[in-house]
Amino acid sequence: MENLKVLISGGTGFVGSAIVRALAEKHPMCAITIIDLKPPGPVHTVPKDIKFIQVDITIQDEVFSALQQVKPDVIIHTAGIVPALSERFGRRLEGHVWRINVEGTQHLVQAAKQTGVKSFIYTSSCGVVIDHMDVPYHNIDERWPTPPSSLIYGESKAAAEAIVLKESSDIMATCALRPSVLCGPGDNQLVPAIHACIAKGETPFIVGDGQNLWDVTYVSNVADAHVLAVENLTSSKTAAGEVFFIQNNEPITFRDFCLAVWAHFGHTPLFEIHIPQALGYVVGLICEFLTWVLGTTTTLSRGSIRDACSVRYASGEKAKRILGYEPQIGIERGIRLSCEEYARRMGIELPMQKAYKKNE
Amino acid sequence: MRATDAIYYMLHPHQLRSIIQWKVWHNAVHERDEKNETETQKACFKFLDMTSRSFSAVIKELHPELLLPVCVFYLTLRGLDTIEDDTSIPLETKEPLLRQFKDFLEQDGWTFTGNRPEEKDRELLVQFHNIITEFKKMKPAYQTIVKDITDKMGNGMADYCRKAELEDASVKTIEEYDLYCYYVAGLVGEGLTRLFVEAGFGNPALITRVRLHKSMGLFLQKTNIIRDVREDNDDSRRFWPKEIWSKHVADFDDLFKPEHREAALNCSSEMVLNALEHVEECLFYLAGLREQSVFNFCAIPQSMAIATLELCFRNPDMFSRNIKITKGDACQLMTESTQNLHVLCSVFRRYARRIHKKNTPKDPNFLKISIICGKIEKFMDTIFPPQSAAEAKRKVLGELSEAEKEKARLEAETRQDMFFMLALMGVVVLIVSIVMIITAWLLGARFDLAWQQLKQGNFSPPRHLREEL
Repeated sequence: MENLKVLISGGTGFVGSAIVRALAEKHPMCAITIIDLKPPGPVHTVPKDIKFIQVDITIQDEVFSALQQVKPDVIIHTAGIVPALSERFGRRLEGHVWRINVEGTQHLVQAAKQTGVKSFIYTSSCGVVIDHMDVPYHNIDERWPTPPSSLIYGESKAAAEAIVLKESSDIMATCALRPSVLCGPGDNQLVPAIHACIAKGETPFIVGDGQNLWDVTYVSNVADAHVLAVENLTSSKTAAGEVFFIQNNEPITFRDFCLAVWAHFGHTPLFEIHIPQALGYVVGLICEFLTWVLGTTTTLSRGSIRDACSVRYASGEKAKRILGYEPQIGIERGIRLSCEEYARRMGIELPMQKAYKKNE
Repeated sequence: MRATDAIYYMLHPHQLRSIIQWKVWHNAVHERDEKNETETQKACFKFLDMTSRSFSAVIKELHPELLLPVCVFYLTLRGLDTIEDDTSIPLETKEPLLRQFKDFLEQDGWTFTGNRPEEKDRELLVQFHNIITEFKKMKPAYQTIVKDITDKMGNGMADYCRKAELEDASVKTIEEYDLYCYYVAGLVGEGLTRLFVEAGFGNPALITRVRLHKSMGLFLQKTNIIRDVREDNDDSRRFWPKEIWSKHVADFDDLFKPEHREAALNCSSEMVLNALEHVEECLFYLAGLREQSVFNFCAIPQSMAIATLELCFRNPDMFSRNIKITKGDACQLMTESTQNLHVLCSVFRRYARRIHKKNTPKDPNFLKISIICGKIEKFMDTIFPPQSAAEAKRKVLGELSEAEKEKARLEAETRQDMFFMLALMGVVVLIVSIVMIITAWLLGARFDLAWQQLKQGNFSPPRHLREEL
């Protein structure tokens, strides 16, 4: 690991910056270079001495010249796009998502092969399997198939993952990590969306039985898994050509995750209204129709209803066996840290922190 | 049955149904051979009935190989208990009795009459020679196990009594709580496991993986300690560790005061959380048993325990009175616990989900309880996967499994049969019609005239003809 040159794509983003921080801390001798669209900002912080090159991965030449310049030993490819919830279930952004997630990966893999990169780690997503929403996913493992059609995000990630794994050889070892839904400092999607439900008065509603288990992962655990993957591919290479589900290994119901977040912000629903899944489905259909007529976007759709009601959690056995990955931050602490950071970002003080100050 | 009971069961018919179902349909795996029992054996079973309400029934249905060893084991520990519980015996007498109890097992005719008259199991020790006779008839391997556990437990009790007399024996840390539960229940689990494995009814790994059998005992004991908090406190005994209750109330007695109800509930839910941590290991243990009567023996108390935890969870009544699961629920649990691990898991899933449902974000341990419920479900999904990877693959590729292919084939066959029957009926109808038409023609029916009329558009006979008809 000494003096290894590591290039991290998407290194100024939510997951990428966490990986940069984790790698710089555990292996200070590594020379890290970030390639990304935007330079490091105040939300997703990275250590100051990290090199940055502005690259748009959808442009092949930019990718190639950046790699020529750095000549990295290892690439961690985290750059990608996660469509916003309102676009998740539609196909409007299909071309855009495909260009970034699949063609971008293609460019990086090609350039990596030409510049003599020895290890390539791809940040995939559990969505490659679970975005296919027809069946529940109880404790699934890596033997599960990637369905040919699901949602635009899952399809693009599955295609990109296949490109990366196909190129694994004695010259360049590759592997893919599939993190679940993430939370943590700088998260723009999960905790903010759940927090927004308080103001919208949506907290009493439970769609389905509220007993379906989900994986949520604290972002630093995912970063740790990437560091372990780098260590593996630069030594024993037992992970070469393999995929791994990465999560906190503490599945909880999605409802409880929301309740825990709301509780941090001092909100407990006064009552609960259960909406049967079938009714939710119909409401989702009506909303979809209205948005189709009016040409707007919606939070409620058949897809989001199914998302909220489905069972989706994976086994962490393989990642533990081969990478030696075990989450360092438990989900309870992870949720607390996420809420505290989000509160700081919004400039509000959490009731728990207020109470703590009072005691002092 | 009292009138109130009758009304209760009229309003709760499913409870009555469960009771009847258990009473009528339950057959013991192994019937006891009562005719050929010796006098000492009869005495042992008499004491078993006397001393235990819940265990006597399950013990008596055990495999003949283990029936007496487990019975003797139980009565021996009961004997120890009776000496330890008796506050009228001074420490200097009590301590050596407890420590030497294992040796009494080998002294023919040993009895003990030093208990105070109000001690409820006094008679067991007065006639202890019966148990000694049976002990000596057991296989040497079983004798060693029973003796060893009696030794460990006797010494553990002696240490505890000494500590209680000379210093403070109240349970402070969670570690002490676990240790206390280990001495009263974990050791029993160890002894029983060794008996099961010795008899060839359990996977030998159950002995080497100490946490598994330890959890079996601890889960039961902790459940009892949670449920009996009120009763124990009335008898001035406290088993809830200070490390837990001091987080919620300043004084243990506050738990029972209405003004601290919310804190008391949070405290009890932390106790339930502590107990739930053993569930996974208990289910794992049960998967290692290889004989039905042994499985039943172990599974019934476990399912009763999870149901009791669910009853106690966020239930303020537990601080004001004794609570216990209804007789109907108990019967249903017994029926479900005497089948197999899969059925038992569905019981655990049901109660874990009920606990999860009652969980509230106002509780400081909300998320921890949610996580442990998730872990229990995950464990059950691991041992009984609802769907395999191979099935998922077929589903994604649109292929059919062997069973589905077979089903499709059968369906096609039935469809073919049906078409054949329809065709056959059509042919029969055709033949009958032809026969009728020919008969009518032979009898002089003028089809040529009828045809002409039809061609002219006269589909019904003229009015005057109709009237004639």
